[in-house]
Amino acid sequence: MRRYEMITIIKADVAEDEINTILDRMEKIIQEENGEVLKVDKWGLRKLAYLIRKEQQGFYILTEYAGTPAAVNEIERIYKIDERILKYMTIKLQDVYIADEPSEDEDQEESDLEETETDSSEAEVPEAVATDSSEADVPEADAIDKAE
Amino acid sequence: MKKKKIFHRAKVCRFCADRDIIIDYKDPKVLRSFVSERGKIIPRRIFGTCAKHQRELTEAIKRARQIALMSYSGSMQG
Repeated sequence: MRRYEMITIIKADVAEDEINTILDRMEKIIQEENGEVLKVDKWGLRKLAYLIRKEQQGFYILTEYAGTPAAVNEIERIYKIDERILKYMTIKLQDVYIADEPSEDEDQEESDLEETETDSSEAEVPEAVATDSSEADVPEADAIDKAE
Repeated sequence: MKKKKIFHRAKVCRFCADRDIIIDYKDPKVLRSFVSERGKIIPRRIFGTCAKHQRELTEAIKRARQIALMSYSGSMQG
């Protein structure tokens, strides 16, 4: 069993119900392989940094699960066929799945499914760091001076 | 021969100095300050990032690009 993280971008015009059915299907595949969905986080609509199949926006979903490589293959195979899914990316977080406080995890999973807008906490952190981007320009300017 | 004026400045890896900054591909706002206007990853020799963190950074930026959180070309605002 390995721990994976998956980001899925779904077309912006797909209804909420359909998104849920996609997620349910994914969960079923994972469970068939004795895996477990640990986290489902819907980021909501986001602007894409570049066009994907001529779409400018996409619905981002972050999922975390414990599963087998076979489950990943199957999910990716299905996602490839599905027209509504613009892009996906799976990242392996742990080679051997180590459960972290299972009782708490289950509670989290349920609350995540109910709340659709959990990105507020995400948005706060980066802003604090973004302020020193002006500082970041300074060393670049130095480098140009050196080159001359 | 013209003597080149060498300007030195103590460069400290930003991620070593400030442990609160976590390099994560899901967080493009942090990563954006480490790419040029064109979206290119700024080399280590300019920013002074340590090797370990530069590696993490590069991977995070490449992942963010793949999943359309950052652009490859940098011309579009995202």
